[in-house]
Amino acid sequence: MEYLSTDKILVIDLNAAQVEEEELLESLVEEKIGGIGIAKYLYEKYENDDPIVIGTGLLTGTTYPASAAGGITAKSPVTGSVCHCPVIYKLGVEIKYSGFDYIVVKGRSDSPVYLWIHDGVADISDASDVWGKDVWESTDELRKFVGDDLLQTMLIGPAGENGSDYAQVCYNHWSSPDRFGFGKLFGAKNLKGLAFRGMGLIEVAEPEDYVERSLEILKQVKENSFLEKKGLGQILTALGEEGVSDWIDPVTHRHSADYFTPYASNTALFLDEDPGLLEESKKEEPGVLVSDIYALLGFKNVGLSVKDAGHALKACAKYGIDPFAVAQLSGKTTLEEIKDSFDSINGEITIPGSGLFTPWCPTGPIFNDFNLSGKDEIMAWWERRQAVSMIFGIQPMFSLMCPELTEENMLELASLGTDLELTQEILDAVIDDILG
Amino acid sequence: MGIKINALKCTNCMACEMVCSYHRDDGFAFLSACIVAYRAREKKDYFGVLLKEEDVLIVARPEGLEINKIGEEADPDKEADASAKPMLLREGCDFCEDMDDYGPMCVAFCPVDAITLD
Repeated sequence: MEYLSTDKILVIDLNAAQVEEEELLESLVEEKIGGIGIAKYLYEKYENDDPIVIGTGLLTGTTYPASAAGGITAKSPVTGSVCHCPVIYKLGVEIKYSGFDYIVVKGRSDSPVYLWIHDGVADISDASDVWGKDVWESTDELRKFVGDDLLQTMLIGPAGENGSDYAQVCYNHWSSPDRFGFGKLFGAKNLKGLAFRGMGLIEVAEPEDYVERSLEILKQVKENSFLEKKGLGQILTALGEEGVSDWIDPVTHRHSADYFTPYASNTALFLDEDPGLLEESKKEEPGVLVSDIYALLGFKNVGLSVKDAGHALKACAKYGIDPFAVAQLSGKTTLEEIKDSFDSINGEITIPGSGLFTPWCPTGPIFNDFNLSGKDEIMAWWERRQAVSMIFGIQPMFSLMCPELTEENMLELASLGTDLELTQEILDAVIDDILG
Repeated sequence: MGIKINALKCTNCMACEMVCSYHRDDGFAFLSACIVAYRAREKKDYFGVLLKEEDVLIVARPEGLEINKIGEEADPDKEADASAKPMLLREGCDFCEDMDDYGPMCVAFCPVDAITLD
């Protein structure tokens, strides 16, 4: 597969400590397009080895607006079914530029390892120095070891190592959309996680047309008045949670966006520093970056102050546990009690619809109504929208905001980028296969 | 003509970095960009934009603009960002002079209009 691709699938056998590469065949892209379309195919191919498939969308890391996402596809310890978790921030892009479109991790290692993937090279590395350490310590240590502060990580903390049902795979220092307990799966494989860095080049079949159409679509996107807003407080306000913006304002530092995403949906809370500080903080850990609107809301609803909610989110990110599950299931109402409860979190959280996609994303449109009405229509739209986002690699929260990102123009760009004829019929078939 | 960067409007999305590199490489990459979103102080949520022009390195920090003449000794009180060193090896901004339909790509593609033409 020559275009919009690294042309490579990495298959890592932890049992045998072996790394193999497969070619990403054009025929597979013609049939499954990409992202979770191909990840599901790879999961089924290696199903007997209990695989974790990490992949990127066909448009990930390009000039298509919000082409930020990758995905993790695996059998969830929470649901018992195969689920798809988005990879956000700048991590999805780094995966593709590290030299592989898809990574299949199968089997179990005898001892703790992490996977170091960079510039088309993959190593299974000894993780004994970071096993037992929390997500923040581990990320910092790996960055120091490699000598690159821009190393992007996908790691578990003590929750995953200890087999907590709600152990989360975290991205760099931060919580992720993982509501599926994928952290437990990593831990069971003795896999501390993956570290990515890449300086690759992605070829485009029709680069000038691709970039020109990207800009036209971006200009349409920028017509949306919601882009005057920023941050997760505004998202919650749009969803009817009126008091949250005022609640978090006193500790809000700045908002940031995932790769090439016009809405800044990540909000940094400064907990031990002046939130209005413009200069670089002299404190090592002034706060926490929050992308999980429902975890934040959950801690608000149990009665925590905004500072304590921020500290709870930070503690969850360090421990590598789903903060939403902690807020919902711990039954605790003080910060200290919540922090002490991590090893005893159990019970059920609701995964909506057919259970394939994470309720980290609101289960309906944000800011725009997409001309939808009725619960069933909205849920069907939401599942299809999540599937499409994760096939093409679109930031899944932003795709709920922005009607200008259409299946038609994603297919158009995918065809321009690959020189393949990717049609609505093919996309419909891929979505049917994913949704079952 | 000059590139004007408002670091407080910037959301650190890296769009500028991608399209700048595209202008040099005719493919998608980050390696050749003369403008980058610096993001190495992640835990401190401290980010801004670096732009290499022919003779100067512009550092658009949240607290203000800093213009460093290339070749002069750096301010010892300010820790260098990991992004700064490779920037010095790259070609300086040419305002995308060959991109007739766009003008500077970083300006055209910035989703939040943090980068504009002066």
